[in-house]
Amino acid sequence: MDELKVSGINISELKAEYDAVQYIVIKLGNEQYGIDIKFVDNIVRMQHITRVPKVADYLKGVINLRGEVIPVMSLRIKMELPADEYTKATRIIILKLEQHGTIGVIVDEVKEVVALDEEEIEKVSYDGKDDRTNFVSAVGKHEGELISLLDLNAVAMENK
Amino acid sequence: MDVNQYLEIFLDETKEHLENLNAQILILEQEPENADTINEIFRAAHSLKGMAGTMGYKRMQALTHDMENVFSEIRNGTMKVKSNLIDTLFQCLDALEEYTSNIQETADEGTNDNQQLIDQLNQFLKAGGAVEEKKPVEAPKEAAEDVSIEKWKDIKLGESERVVLSAAKTQGKNVYGLTVVVQESCLLKAARAFLVYKAVEEKAEIIVCNPPAQDIEDERFDLDFSLLVVSDCSLEEILQVTRNVSEIDKVAGAVYEFEAVPEGEKNVEQQSSAKTAVATQPQSAAPKANDKKTGGKPVANRTVRVDIEKLDVLMNLVSELIIAKNSLVSASSSEGGSGTGFKEQIEYLESVTTNLHESVMKVRMVPIESVVSKFPRMIRDLSKKLDKKMELYMSGEETELDRTVVDEIGDPLMHLLRNAADHGLESSEVRLQRGKPEVGSIFLDAYQDGNNVVIEVRDDGNGIDVEAVKNKAIERGVITPEQGDNMSEKDIINLLFHAGFSTAKQISDVSGRGVGLDVVKAKIESLSGEVEVKSQLGEGSTWIVRLPLTLAIIQALMVIVGGEKYAISLGGIQTIEDISPSEIKLVQNREVIHLRGSVIPLIRLSKELDIESCKSPEDNLVVVIVKKGEKLAGLVIDELMGQQEIVIKSLGKYISKCKIISGATILGDGEVALILDANALI
Repeated sequence: MDELKVSGINISELKAEYDAVQYIVIKLGNEQYGIDIKFVDNIVRMQHITRVPKVADYLKGVINLRGEVIPVMSLRIKMELPADEYTKATRIIILKLEQHGTIGVIVDEVKEVVALDEEEIEKVSYDGKDDRTNFVSAVGKHEGELISLLDLNAVAMENK
Repeated sequence: MDVNQYLEIFLDETKEHLENLNAQILILEQEPENADTINEIFRAAHSLKGMAGTMGYKRMQALTHDMENVFSEIRNGTMKVKSNLIDTLFQCLDALEEYTSNIQETADEGTNDNQQLIDQLNQFLKAGGAVEEKKPVEAPKEAAEDVSIEKWKDIKLGESERVVLSAAKTQGKNVYGLTVVVQESCLLKAARAFLVYKAVEEKAEIIVCNPPAQDIEDERFDLDFSLLVVSDCSLEEILQVTRNVSEIDKVAGAVYEFEAVPEGEKNVEQQSSAKTAVATQPQSAAPKANDKKTGGKPVANRTVRVDIEKLDVLMNLVSELIIAKNSLVSASSSEGGSGTGFKEQIEYLESVTTNLHESVMKVRMVPIESVVSKFPRMIRDLSKKLDKKMELYMSGEETELDRTVVDEIGDPLMHLLRNAADHGLESSEVRLQRGKPEVGSIFLDAYQDGNNVVIEVRDDGNGIDVEAVKNKAIERGVITPEQGDNMSEKDIINLLFHAGFSTAKQISDVSGRGVGLDVVKAKIESLSGEVEVKSQLGEGSTWIVRLPLTLAIIQALMVIVGGEKYAISLGGIQTIEDISPSEIKLVQNREVIHLRGSVIPLIRLSKELDIESCKSPEDNLVVVIVKKGEKLAGLVIDELMGQQEIVIKSLGKYISKCKIISGATILGDGEVALILDANALI
């Protein structure tokens, strides 16, 4: 259960410098997604997940995080991407959400922490057809790359 | 004075006093002349009044004041206890309860004056106390002086004060009661009182001040005030310093005997006899202490109130310790147990954690008395409301349950009792026709049964009319007539727990609103308990509520199914059997086995858990026989791991849909294992 320092960036320093929102950038397949750092409790390495029967397929099971039992979901399956292949880079991001409590989310890789100013964030118009865009609330631009910013409550919401 | 910090204590104590009053008034109704009860009631009412006054709840104080007046008349024997008086008193208690719950929610007592109740009380006072009123006039002087001078005797001790005083006494210090009367002509009463207070404080430690120090400072007292002090000095020394303050009329003091009956044998006169009191103090104190122990009234349990959150923290720590112990155990067994010393240490640790767990659990345990003590009163009210004669017999009130369970169990039990009173018992005429005693009986029995606590609600009424239930169910569309024909009697009775089902022909405000038994069942199941009914038409019914003793740590059987580890609570497990595949029979296309005369359905856990079993179909099956109520079932598993003490962790609300999993636990190797709810499988 090693906790990782994300790219060695001193977070508090960043906070003082900008009045911007910080995001943890993760990779899922070839795309980059941003998770608002205020919801992130912890990032842990992939570990044994205990399967829970009779639940939605994206719920992979539960893990033991320092004595607490935390449900873990696969972001890939939730977003209807090909199933996860666990590698050395695979991480579980532990999110603390007001509505849903603590949830772990499996991602392919954690890249870095970025701070995005308001002008670097563009809201996306809602497109009801594409399931995947439902989870994206905005797109951030950072050093010429695009980062889809995840709407975590939508991610955690149960599938109908 | 900032009273907020005392609010919790106030609420707790008020509730205790109200419970006590309820119980005592019930006794009073049966035995109107019982002096002990009357004294007890008077004391409780007086404390209530004092507490409400201190906290600034004026309406509550006013009501209790009038109640106290009534009790005082009863105590003096000038007023007889009548049924309508008891009714009014109960209404007063209800009103007080309302105040209390208002205070609990909003820290304000509300605006209901309950003037009507106060008026009623005063009428009783006028009617009953006519003789009494003359008494003080006849002998005004002596009475006033003798009684009022020893007001410290009337001080009501709180729990904490009692502890302090007892502690002081055991340390060999002297406990004195003092009453100081300020001269009527005194202009600055508060200042004089303050000087006395200061003077006494130099010689002794003031434990109780009545009225409170703040009130004295604000001049909110008549001419006298009383103190309870702990001191190494002699009584005379203390009396002397108070007398040195000018404009003090009289000072009375003596050794204070707490727990002693108000009309103590020694009639301590003021100053002169104070000396003899000092002289006789060492001798008199010893026998009194004995009196206290052997006296008729049980000495209140010495308790410490602990915030439940602090207990939870302690509980969590114990849980962690047990997990750590489990990992040590698994580490030692995986390393092949190098060295016996290591193993011995682990065994030692194991016994320590088990003991620690037990004692922490015990701290969380409270007797169900706090819940059931309000039931006799409720049955009395129901008896009047329904115009049926009935008696409630309770046993096992001392049975203990986890605090969280006790807090939740009140409503379901109340519902079952109401049900028994309303639906169960027949009216008096019918009972007489059937040759039963006119007064119906309802029993509430609680007892511990292994890891469970069983609470039975039994009545000797009509019992459940299975046909009526069936017809009703068909009428309500709960079942079809065909289904009804195929159902066993037991299944039909269980329909009572179906939502939206009520067989009461008339809807009364006692029961029969169609929300009830299903809620009762849901509530009990949410506490990991279960409820069942047994009934004999014409002879009565029994509702059996079974609750687990604790909710946090259980003994479990660890099993492996398809390579995954699961825990099954040991509580429901009967036996473990080795069954050859040839013994499996098919009944109505379901697999069953024949075991010692009973046919037991098999449940293949691999199928229920959506996983492939690791065993080939020819191998013998390992079957865990579990029991739910009267029903048995065999759970087919792959492998047994053994028995283990496990800490139950919630799966969280995010994964709550899986009914057959009741929680999770963390094993010694840090892995999570799920806990199977055998009850949900059957």
